[in-house]
Amino acid sequence: MTDRGKTDLVVLGLFDSVEQAAKGACALRSLPLPAHDITTLSSVPLPDGAVCEDTAPIRFPWAVAAFWFVGAAAGLGLSLVTYLDYPLITAGKEIISVPPMIIVTYEIAMLGALLATLIGSFRSIGLARLKGRKARKVFDPRIHEGKIVLCARVEHGDEENRAIAAMKETGGLDVRAEEGEL
Amino acid sequence: MSAENHLSRSGEERLYEELSRSNRVTTRWWYIGVAGLSAVVLWAVAVFVYQMMTGMGVTGLNLPVFWGMYIILFVFWIGVSHSGTLISAILRITRATWRAPVLRGAEAMTAFALLVGGLFPLIHLGRNWRFYYMIPYPNERGLWPNFRSPLMWDAAAIFTYLTGSTLFLYFGMIPDLALARDRSSGWRKTLYTILAAGFRGTHRQWRRYHVASTLFAILIIPVAVSVHSIVSWDFAMAKVPGWHSTIFAPYFVAGAIYSGIAAVITVMAVLRKMFRLEQSLTPKHFDNLGKLLLTMTLLWGYFYFSEFLTIWYGRLIEEWAVLSSYGKHYLPLFAVMVSCNFLIPLPLLCFRRIRRSIPALFVISLIVNVGMWTERALIIVPSLARRNDPFVWHNYFPSWVELSIFAGSIAFFALLYVLFSKIFPVMAVTDIKEQMFHTTDRAMGGVTMASVSHEPGEDET
Repeated sequence: MTDRGKTDLVVLGLFDSVEQAAKGACALRSLPLPAHDITTLSSVPLPDGAVCEDTAPIRFPWAVAAFWFVGAAAGLGLSLVTYLDYPLITAGKEIISVPPMIIVTYEIAMLGALLATLIGSFRSIGLARLKGRKARKVFDPRIHEGKIVLCARVEHGDEENRAIAAMKETGGLDVRAEEGEL
Repeated sequence: MSAENHLSRSGEERLYEELSRSNRVTTRWWYIGVAGLSAVVLWAVAVFVYQMMTGMGVTGLNLPVFWGMYIILFVFWIGVSHSGTLISAILRITRATWRAPVLRGAEAMTAFALLVGGLFPLIHLGRNWRFYYMIPYPNERGLWPNFRSPLMWDAAAIFTYLTGSTLFLYFGMIPDLALARDRSSGWRKTLYTILAAGFRGTHRQWRRYHVASTLFAILIIPVAVSVHSIVSWDFAMAKVPGWHSTIFAPYFVAGAIYSGIAAVITVMAVLRKMFRLEQSLTPKHFDNLGKLLLTMTLLWGYFYFSEFLTIWYGRLIEEWAVLSSYGKHYLPLFAVMVSCNFLIPLPLLCFRRIRRSIPALFVISLIVNVGMWTERALIIVPSLARRNDPFVWHNYFPSWVELSIFAGSIAFFALLYVLFSKIFPVMAVTDIKEQMFHTTDRAMGGVTMASVSHEPGEDET
């Protein structure tokens, strides 16, 4: 098996319907191209498996759970340090008052989880990437006209030609190969 | 897309043109509206500067009524903010089929109402330039905020909710910003390109986007509930008759959802009229919102009666002094509150014809918010004005300064919305498209019905 990770050649084809795109994807898989090298560009989300499948696990919810605890620790620390640093009895309450600590801890824990959701999802989706931001990503704005763009990462030469032929045979329009990231 | 679904029938091009009208078409009325609202906001800012330079004596506040219009508005606006994100989050999680046209307007409403509401503790401070005392940071005074004070719980909760609601609003807009990026030019294209953050709509992106979107919705609901609970604890933690109540947190949350749903209806009706969104915001959406409003009318009535009955039956002297003032000095306010929150909306909302009449529902939503403002005023003022010793009892009426800032807050909220609708997609275009993509026509006997498909596994029990 050759190392396909380095290739940056993508074959794109436009399809009018999900059914057509699914046929195109099926033809690409039978070339054979691995499932993780085939994807779609669409203006609405397509059900997983309708055209292609996303087999990679989604891990960022674990980061959200972890940052909930980081936030909780920060909230707990903030209120505890404040009590100890400035030990003034107010309204007859104990220096270390647990119920207010729960409230502050809870709010900052939720803040940590919300921020982690944004950052984690951005990383997972590949948004706002500073590293390698100059690398060209394949795209076709005609997805907003109702088209589905089927994309497949291929190697130069025979595989590229076979992928183009497979897309054309299954009704792909404006089928072409472009240098860029999937 | 598939030939049979409603999206392909409608045409994406035409749909986008219709839903993005607010971004593309600027009428003379828009400029007049912005000018008028800006004038009111500027007046309120000038009045605030006057108050800051002169002192809090220019307000109607006087012992024992040391919380007045500003705190009423704080509670009111935080309440209004409550439902937008909450409704949106619940509709997203339950994947309600009618959710799409309501989402964006409701989420934006939360962010703007919070921005407005969050200003009032600062306006109320007196020495406003010392606001940073609320922020925990190493300082030369060696002082840190006192986290035993409910006011600090407020600061933490509102900061978390404002951050969460803004992120929730922004995250929900990303696919629409990507769409706008590909269809705009000039400064708008630059702005949308930055905000869309490189979203292209690959299968992998969509799948992760949906997981994150659901996660945001799940996280924001308990934050929303906690915020209004904490606002209620500002009162309930004080040993003031009428405030010191265990039921206050759920009662405030119910009231906030009630006023929030009413505000969502108001905003939706205005957006529909202003941007000609009749095709997307149909009477069916208003009917559903009307049903939610009816449910909350009953729930609010239940909570209010529970609180009222306990005090009426117990007749503790200090609590009775407050409650009996509702039948004397505060009778007009009490009558307005009960009428606007219960007696008027309850029978009207029972009729489907009224719920499906957008002008009628719009008027009811305004009536409910008048009632909810009055309810906030009745919670705050009589408890202080009739507190303990009759020798110090004192009535309160807001001064022209407070009334100006009241008007300014409404204008500021409207101005934020008007500006937002000019720059950002005011309707959740992608959600509407997704909904239409999943909807097909199905013949059933003699009728043709819309049939909505779900992803495999979504309906498994």
